[in-house]
Amino acid sequence: MDNRQNRLEALLWSGFGLLVLGYALIPVLWILSLSLKWPADLNDRRLIPARISFDNYRAVFEDAQFPAALWNSFGIALLATGLSILLAMFAAYAIVRLRFAGKKLVLAGVLAISMFPPVSIIGPLFNLWRGIGLYDTWAGLIIPYMTFTLPLAIWTLSAFFREIPWDLDKAARVDGATPFQAFFHVIAPLAAPGVFTAAILVFIFAWNDFLFATSLTSTNDARTVPAAIAFFTGSSQFEQPTGSIAAASVVVTVPIIVIVLLFQRRIVAGLTAGAVKG
Amino acid sequence: MKARGNAERRLAWLLCAPAVTAMLLVTAYPILYAFWLSLFRYDLRFPQHRQFVGLDNYVSVLSSEIWWKSVVNTLIITAGSVAVELVLGMLLALLMFRATLGRRTIRTVILIPYGMITVVSALAWKFAFDPTTGFVNALLNLDNAWLTERWSAFFVIIFTEIWKTTPFMALLLLAGLTLIPRDLISAARVDGASAWQRFVHVTLPLMKPTIMVALLFRTLDAFRIFDTVYVQTRGAGNTETVSLVGYNVLIARLNLGLGSAVSVLIFIGVLIIALLFLKGFGTPLTRQQGE
Amino acid sequence: MRHRRLMICADPRWLQAIALSLLLSACSGREETGPPVLNWYVFDEKSGAFRDAVRQCTARADGRYRIRITPLPADADQQREQLVRRLAVRDRDIDIVGMDVIWTAEFAQAGWILPWREAQAAEAIMGMLPAAVKSAVYQGRLWAVPFTTNAQLLWYRKDKVDRPATWDELIDAAEAFDVPGALQVQGQRYEGLTVFFISLLASAGGAVLDHDDTEVSLEPVPTRRALELLKRIGNSPAADPALSTAREDQSRLAFETGKPVFMVNYSYVWPSARQNAPAVAGQMGWMRWPAVVEGLPGRVTIGGINLGIGAYTRHAGMAFEAARCLASEPNQINAAQKGGLPPTIEALYRTPEVRARFPMADTLLATLQDAMQRPRTPFYYDLSLAISHTLHPLKDIDPDADAVRLREAVGRALKSEGLF
Repeated sequence: MDNRQNRLEALLWSGFGLLVLGYALIPVLWILSLSLKWPADLNDRRLIPARISFDNYRAVFEDAQFPAALWNSFGIALLATGLSILLAMFAAYAIVRLRFAGKKLVLAGVLAISMFPPVSIIGPLFNLWRGIGLYDTWAGLIIPYMTFTLPLAIWTLSAFFREIPWDLDKAARVDGATPFQAFFHVIAPLAAPGVFTAAILVFIFAWNDFLFATSLTSTNDARTVPAAIAFFTGSSQFEQPTGSIAAASVVVTVPIIVIVLLFQRRIVAGLTAGAVKG
Repeated sequence: MKARGNAERRLAWLLCAPAVTAMLLVTAYPILYAFWLSLFRYDLRFPQHRQFVGLDNYVSVLSSEIWWKSVVNTLIITAGSVAVELVLGMLLALLMFRATLGRRTIRTVILIPYGMITVVSALAWKFAFDPTTGFVNALLNLDNAWLTERWSAFFVIIFTEIWKTTPFMALLLLAGLTLIPRDLISAARVDGASAWQRFVHVTLPLMKPTIMVALLFRTLDAFRIFDTVYVQTRGAGNTETVSLVGYNVLIARLNLGLGSAVSVLIFIGVLIIALLFLKGFGTPLTRQQGE
Repeated sequence: MRHRRLMICADPRWLQAIALSLLLSACSGREETGPPVLNWYVFDEKSGAFRDAVRQCTARADGRYRIRITPLPADADQQREQLVRRLAVRDRDIDIVGMDVIWTAEFAQAGWILPWREAQAAEAIMGMLPAAVKSAVYQGRLWAVPFTTNAQLLWYRKDKVDRPATWDELIDAAEAFDVPGALQVQGQRYEGLTVFFISLLASAGGAVLDHDDTEVSLEPVPTRRALELLKRIGNSPAADPALSTAREDQSRLAFETGKPVFMVNYSYVWPSARQNAPAVAGQMGWMRWPAVVEGLPGRVTIGGINLGIGAYTRHAGMAFEAARCLASEPNQINAAQKGGLPPTIEALYRTPEVRARFPMADTLLATLQDAMQRPRTPFYYDLSLAISHTLHPLKDIDPDADAVRLREAVGRALKSEGLF
């Protein structure tokens, strides 16, 4: 009796698991399938390609823009992540550990910026960047990415920092270490998992952005993958390059899937840390 | 003791200064600059015609049919996606909370939509719903040109948004669920409350703060929607959102004056939504973070 | 282990590396040795015809300069979006611009391109189609050298329908088939819809702007006629179910399935059909647009690419020379043969090389000789948005109300006011 109920339950949960699996994976499998189809089969409306061709992949890597965009995306996202995490670490430490007037103000500011609509500043930024030569450069994207990920990073890091046994810090300071030394030698190593989590989230944000990338860049110098895919060039002036778009989409989705598979627990912890833990 | 406090304060500000400066430099300054620009007739193509026009640009935007249509469209997309996400996300969270099998796998795969580039997911669904290349029509035995009609286009856009962000919602809610003391639920069970009663009278009230935070962030996020609409319809068929209107005026037409007026209005819109949430529901957001 | 990872973050050298890379990327001047490089911004032509032209002209420069292509997106609006942003930041790397014919007035007025000197201009345009030359002229000066041209034809199935004399006959014939999508036209909200409207309006004897392209024209009778036709097409059972998102390429793909009987499209559909659907190609006929009003011949707007010189270039003299070389006869022949792009040099339509590639050369030439200009105003982009946004979707057109809305929208566009 009990055994049967257990088996029923297992079946139920497996069904639920499969449902979620399908939910998450269908679009991924769909673009994978599109990217592998022969041009003539593009319109066969089948989920599974009848014949497989890797031509689309060759095409995107021979494309005049895609490889450069991939390089830009990695470089810009990594640099923005590094900078954002560095600044956020300082700020989060101060918020969690130190008492100072204006803490509320900083927090309110962080909150306000996390709600800020990016479209409101693309015009002014465009005008400023063109004045000081940051238009279509890496720095021109890194700066806004850094800003818009700081709230997320400060948030996540603060949540993690609160869990750290700070007595060690106190002990170090009693031993004569300066606050800076205490920060770098005692606390930072303990904070590493949190830092890493925040970094993943920030990286995903920067990797994902389209609005800034499309507004503030225009060539291979700094254009990132989302913008490059949206502006993909067809094989004639009037043609839609569906196959190449699909192949490029698969290429940029793979790193995300790898990150997700490797760091699942950290991402979940990071996403939920800031919002619910007090 | 006093000196120590001072040193601590100095250090605190020193540590916060870079982050605060970066944030102010890229948000506060440009938004003020946007307000300044919005008072001019200023087309970057013909800068020699730049001229102070006061609030004319605002009059022009606010009296335009397109602006109000885009506001309505944005609200439709926001309400549609956030409402479904909340219900679906809650369902998913409850199931994940109780799952005895494959919990880890499920948590992992639902992160894929979260991590996928929005442009890519928008394209994937666009191709899926496409009448000539897509599988959706074949699957449902339909002959719909989904993105050509306003409401079916909204359906595809909202569907894409829901697909992409429900996992995020579910994870937030799941975290909230794990914070509910177990004994409260068992006590209710002992008192003879049904599963539904337990959910409505115990779980939901305790989760209110989490739900409010999740709702606020998703609402603001949905209100700023740009990528999905840009990729799927580019605003055709009356599906333009406020962000798309702003982008078109600013970046495609290079009309900085008029576009800045749109920017400032969008900013005010976000401000209003945030204030409504904070005031109306009394979400203790900052207090939660402050401690 | 953990400890070490964090120490990397704290290491000042790491910070320096970031700062340095930021600096470098901020002021990366392209430093290259050798002869100056002329950047040619143009859509990404996949057949390689443009790259051939680059090779040939670089060789002809004999070491004085090199030409390099910077590809732009496929879609004309997106090309413009990219270019305009770069030009607004006074990009000095834009030497030669492959300009859609509709950008001439805007780019010239904004000071983004350089005018051609009279002597140079006269030589550059010798033997070229007058309509193509006119598309590169603004306020009496030449701003670019015409390179390729294009105009829409009516394509039909010889085995299924007769050549219609008027648009009404055409729609009747298409509807007789009772096949959704029997008539393929472009109804998405984009430049193609504006082209469709302006061509119908011109065929009805009207125009969007008056002769100087400074004031709204839109005479009531032809405007109404054009709007009524659009409305009829939008609601016709022969229209494609996806008409409101149809662009040139959707029409081409649909026609290649063999179901449609009429299609409005450019000449690139011919080689494509021969390759993808030989059975359809075998029955494909072509003709000039039918009449909208009996007695007036159907007219269409001219398209194509003109080569302009970026105003901020460091190498203006060489750029002018290079542009002329790129648009010269051998390169136009190659672009026609290899890429299927109709030439702007009139005499080429009578050469065997071009006729082999364009069996419809005579029809195309006749269409081009009679082709219309789209309004040549610096506000063309705004104006085009105003038109396509007002008329989309075609099935909801109300000729009376929309004639008024159209007039208002075009008026606002000319003052660069209002949202579209």
